[in-house]
Amino acid sequence: MNILVLNCGSSSLKYQLFRMPEENVLIRGGIEKIGSDDAVHSFKTEGPEGGESVSTVQILDHREALSLVLQAVTHDSGVLAGVEEITAVGHRVVHGGEQFALSTLVTEEVKAAIRANAELAPLHNPANLQGIEAIEDVLPRVPQVAVFDTAFHQSMPPEHYLYPIPYVLYQRHKVRRYGFHGTSHRYVSSRVPFLVHRDLMNLRVISCHIGNGASVTAIQNGRSIDTSMGMTPLEGVMMGTRSGDLDPSLQEYITRKEELTQEEFLSMLNRHSGLFGISGLSGDMRKITEARAKGSARSALAFDMYEYRIRKYIGAYVAAMNGVDVLLFTAGVGENSPLLRRKICDHLTYLGLELDVQANESAKGERIISTPSSRVTVCVIPTNEELMIARDTQLLVSGLESWRK
Amino acid sequence: MNVQKVGIVGAGTMGQGLAAAIAGKGIDVILLDRSEQELERAKLGLELSLDHRLAKWGITEAEKKSILSRIVLGTNLSLLRDCEVVIETIWENLEEKTDLLLAIEQEVGPEALVASNTSTLSITELAVQTAHPERVIGLHFHFPVEQRNLVEVVRGLKTSERTAEAAFRFLEGLGKQAVQVFESPGFITTRLMLPLINEAVLIYAEGVATAEDIDKAMKHGYGFHIGPLELADRFGLDAVVDMLDALFHETMEPRYRPAAYLRKLVRGGQLGTKARQGFFQYDEWGERV
Repeated sequence: MNILVLNCGSSSLKYQLFRMPEENVLIRGGIEKIGSDDAVHSFKTEGPEGGESVSTVQILDHREALSLVLQAVTHDSGVLAGVEEITAVGHRVVHGGEQFALSTLVTEEVKAAIRANAELAPLHNPANLQGIEAIEDVLPRVPQVAVFDTAFHQSMPPEHYLYPIPYVLYQRHKVRRYGFHGTSHRYVSSRVPFLVHRDLMNLRVISCHIGNGASVTAIQNGRSIDTSMGMTPLEGVMMGTRSGDLDPSLQEYITRKEELTQEEFLSMLNRHSGLFGISGLSGDMRKITEARAKGSARSALAFDMYEYRIRKYIGAYVAAMNGVDVLLFTAGVGENSPLLRRKICDHLTYLGLELDVQANESAKGERIISTPSSRVTVCVIPTNEELMIARDTQLLVSGLESWRK
Repeated sequence: MNVQKVGIVGAGTMGQGLAAAIAGKGIDVILLDRSEQELERAKLGLELSLDHRLAKWGITEAEKKSILSRIVLGTNLSLLRDCEVVIETIWENLEEKTDLLLAIEQEVGPEALVASNTSTLSITELAVQTAHPERVIGLHFHFPVEQRNLVEVVRGLKTSERTAEAAFRFLEGLGKQAVQVFESPGFITTRLMLPLINEAVLIYAEGVATAEDIDKAMKHGYGFHIGPLELADRFGLDAVVDMLDALFHETMEPRYRPAAYLRKLVRGGQLGTKARQGFFQYDEWGERV
């Protein structure tokens, strides 16, 4: 079966078409600036006859954008003979609130729940929903599946997901920790058994998704029991431009001293902090590493703080699980910065962790980077959220088909 | 379709603020004024205010660049041709605004919304000579545009339902809170604020309290974000006098008669924030010294 995976933003969308169960990507593409007369649509087909295409067109809304996507996967690329060959569509949805611990087939109730959670993710959920409704228009009979960023972390127990503030705030407004990057943490942890040849049951995994945004998750028996991001993606470790954890009293003090509005303060924490805020140079780890090597003291400081704050979370989750069996790194920085991985592991030797320097520095792709005698297995696992969405979609749609029979 | 291009005529403080706020939402902006000299000043003003927001961490360097790249400055009204919304923000003068609306109408397409940012003039009167008064509407933005979410949507006698709806949709896209006002001098906010400012000036001029204490009393006593005298400085004291005069002449109500001391400050060139001297002193950023 062919499954279209969609990630719809407010004015952009990304897509991949998978052939399942082979898990082959047939075509991948994206559209930017939806809602304008100079929207940019680009796509790339895989395989020996693969090709690329970039075009600028007028795209007024998500429905038109998705019509173009369907045209791209059929006539333009010749990947499919017709749209009827699309079996199902899987959507990334950012916030599933407390309603969704698993991916789900889209129904009217599910749409209503996504709408209800828009308050918790005002930039993302409305766009995700637009994508779902647009597909209903252009492919009315094709089943759709919603895969939530927050779902994997719904297994956290209340003592981990609640904030120590008046309980009534949770009851009234659902103020609690939700966590993000769930699809990524779930995908990489699902790869662990293949690498370490042990079942996820009885395994304590700490998963470090370190990209532009970053989160660390404690996974016990295959279930997330704690994660560093909270009600919003601002909590947790230091990130490219986000501060991560800090003292909430800073808000009153800084806004008063600098005469900032609430928006300016939040913009400062989200977009002017982290690596960028400390280095004054960039939020991109590659640039920070380069500048550090050339002797930039502030870049070195930024790097050290970044590493330290990730390591503190790892230490916390070792305590949370009474130990750790597997430490894994994924996403842009996690996959591509051997220096960061080495610095983190250098200070975890008390756990009996031994890094295989060679495997860490030079090898590529999914691999173990600790020595055979290390008491903690350290892995690098490239993430693939789109594949996870395709798998969930396939599973739910197959279930639907067998139920119909 | 979402609005993609907005014209703003009058590149003063308000025009600049509107241009930056609208361009910040990803919409192309045409910002017009009469002379190259005015445009140079506007360009500098835009840069300064964006630098200021950058320094306050409100925007990023990349956003500053993209906002500036979306604003095209010019002197020729023909640049407004494919704008879906045109807002005039020139000086409060009935003849000049009327002439301008007629000229704008010559350029824009039949579907375009024609708006005036007037705070005191009659939309009905401004629209009466236009060919399509039903598409003329008042959009009273508040200064500074970036920080004040309120917009009064003012319906003249002939403004159509369709025009009002389009205006509300446009403002929603900008993330503004809109209130509907049926034309009346000073609408809601100006009619309430100007007598308050005027009374604050009288309290000061009579020696009842210092400027600091008058503002402090209203800030801490009534939760005002800024006090009435600083607000007057930020409006521009000359603009305050003009607005009061307009309300006074329109309504013949003595409560709108500008305080003599306010006129004195204006005559002395102490026009408020823009002159860096009014009831208080300001630096080049417009911050209180």
